[in-house]
Amino acid sequence: MTSDYAIETDGLQKIYRARLTGRTFTAVAGLTLRVPVGSKFGLLGANGAGKTTFVKMLLAAVRPTAGRAALFGRDAQEHESRRPVGYLPENHRFPTYFTGAGMLDFYGALSGMSAVDRKRRIGELLELVGLEKWGDVRIKKYSKGMLQRLGLAQAMMHKPKLLVLDEPTDGVDPAGRRHIRDILNGLTGTGVTIFLNSHLLSEVETFCDYVAILRQGNLALEGKMTNLLTKQGVVITARDVNEQAQRVITSMASTHRVVEDALEFTVSSALEANRAIDQLRAAGALIHSVIPTNSSLEDIFIEITGATRSAIAPVENDTAAAATTEVRQ
Amino acid sequence: MSTEAEVLRPVTGEYQSLPLSTSPLQVFVALIWDTIQEARARWLFWGLFGLSTLLILFFLFILKIDVVQGAVSFMGLPVDAGRRIFNIEKFVRTAYTFVALFLYVWGTFLAIFASAGLIPSVLEPGRIGLLLSKPISRPMLLLGRYAGTLLVVAVNNIYLITAIYLIIGWKTDVWYHSFLYAIPLATFNFAVILTVVVLIGVLSESAALSLMVAVALMFISALLAQRQFVVNLLTSEWSRDLWQTLYWIVPKTWELGTVMRQLILKEDPPYWIAPVLTSATFALITFLVAISRFQRRDY
Repeated sequence: MTSDYAIETDGLQKIYRARLTGRTFTAVAGLTLRVPVGSKFGLLGANGAGKTTFVKMLLAAVRPTAGRAALFGRDAQEHESRRPVGYLPENHRFPTYFTGAGMLDFYGALSGMSAVDRKRRIGELLELVGLEKWGDVRIKKYSKGMLQRLGLAQAMMHKPKLLVLDEPTDGVDPAGRRHIRDILNGLTGTGVTIFLNSHLLSEVETFCDYVAILRQGNLALEGKMTNLLTKQGVVITARDVNEQAQRVITSMASTHRVVEDALEFTVSSALEANRAIDQLRAAGALIHSVIPTNSSLEDIFIEITGATRSAIAPVENDTAAAATTEVRQ
Repeated sequence: MSTEAEVLRPVTGEYQSLPLSTSPLQVFVALIWDTIQEARARWLFWGLFGLSTLLILFFLFILKIDVVQGAVSFMGLPVDAGRRIFNIEKFVRTAYTFVALFLYVWGTFLAIFASAGLIPSVLEPGRIGLLLSKPISRPMLLLGRYAGTLLVVAVNNIYLITAIYLIIGWKTDVWYHSFLYAIPLATFNFAVILTVVVLIGVLSESAALSLMVAVALMFISALLAQRQFVVNLLTSEWSRDLWQTLYWIVPKTWELGTVMRQLILKEDPPYWIAPVLTSATFALITFLVAISRFQRRDY
């Protein structure tokens, strides 16, 4: 069975119900999403937005309340649909009795790899993730960053066509993040689909070519990264705008809000901005500021989710530091 | 929505997928091997075999001090040349029976203690999610874990019971091969109890609770087996019916021990069909319920 989409969901929904109280909580609310084959797709959302539940439904760890999910056109509930999938879970707990090589061998066997392929691939992957000297060491002696790299090797073990990575750089230092990013970049152009579930905006912004943002279990935004980030605009703030002018302006603007007694709105181009300014002058409004802008993923995220910058700044600074290091090198 | 075909990337490069087997046998073997590795790492494997070895050494020591001859004299059995062999044989047969029953109880309890954690451990968050992401069915996952645990215990039973058999036979020169029936019977009994461990493990993810329920079930089974005596004491019809019903539902740990005694002593034709069949039915239903619950759970 072939499909143009590595992941395809239709109205996928998960509602949790408390047994005693009967209270319900909608983790994912009828999500319809399509991830093209070969894309690098980032799934964003605030904590509790439903990202991990969505991923778990794709991999049949969580049963959907309604809707369907398919992997390469095959129903995700069928265990065979997961054969071309490699998965690195968030908060993984790999059995500590394994050595690095032993763990790869075990999960490789579960994926259906032959003993010969497993042996060859273990050597390749340990080298790729920089753990070639650690293959015979029990993983209880591994650091968090080493475990993440080993987890990534595990996900790549059987050369899957779809990599689902849930917070792959969680707990990893900047150098380790760069290493992981380099490994993933190495898959670019190979046809492997990478589905990245992350709360690190700049990680998604620099790596992914598609992004979807979840808000309270709903798909708040989905699009091609380049389209979203080149969304230039002009933010205009004006006072004393009468009702009629306000109606005209808001119909032209992509976003608008009233801040204290001023109207702040965004238009998509300089031409639109000139038209809006003409309207404001004709209505006798006082133009306070005209600022050209360039949307970042952070802007979009904040706009969509209503998150505050301070809430996402600490992790962003860390990632930004990593990015800066990378540029300097 | 960016779902149009125009956004698709071309598939290029030399990333060639590997040929992947769909054989369930490979997965089954991998799951069994994983269970054995975990048992080894948790010292359960070594603990089980270590305690069995201690018991074997203890028997060796007991027989080394010629307790057989001493016990024969103590019991007042005639030791004249004409009847000596017969009486020794009778004594050894009785000794075999007691030893077999001891090993049956010892082995089962030890095995339950050793294995109670092996099912819940695989259901830990962060571990089960990854296992479920592999192309294996949930029943296969549970079955592999069950089989791995059973294999560890079966190997220990073979080791312990065969060693005791060899020691007694070597010392007395009386070889009762029927003693070895203790291996399949003890293993079968454990296989039945293990399904309860699996079910409670799936429902509660608690090793302690699995252990408590399994041990309690063994005691209840022994209690229910005294039905002839207890039913006579019960005054109401419904309580007698309840006792009888429970007796037929619960696995027959006690009766399986009796079957083993009968097989070793060769005294009566063993009444094994009902205990084995009802216990096997109990195990099958319990395991199917465990699979059903496991398939419905979110992790």
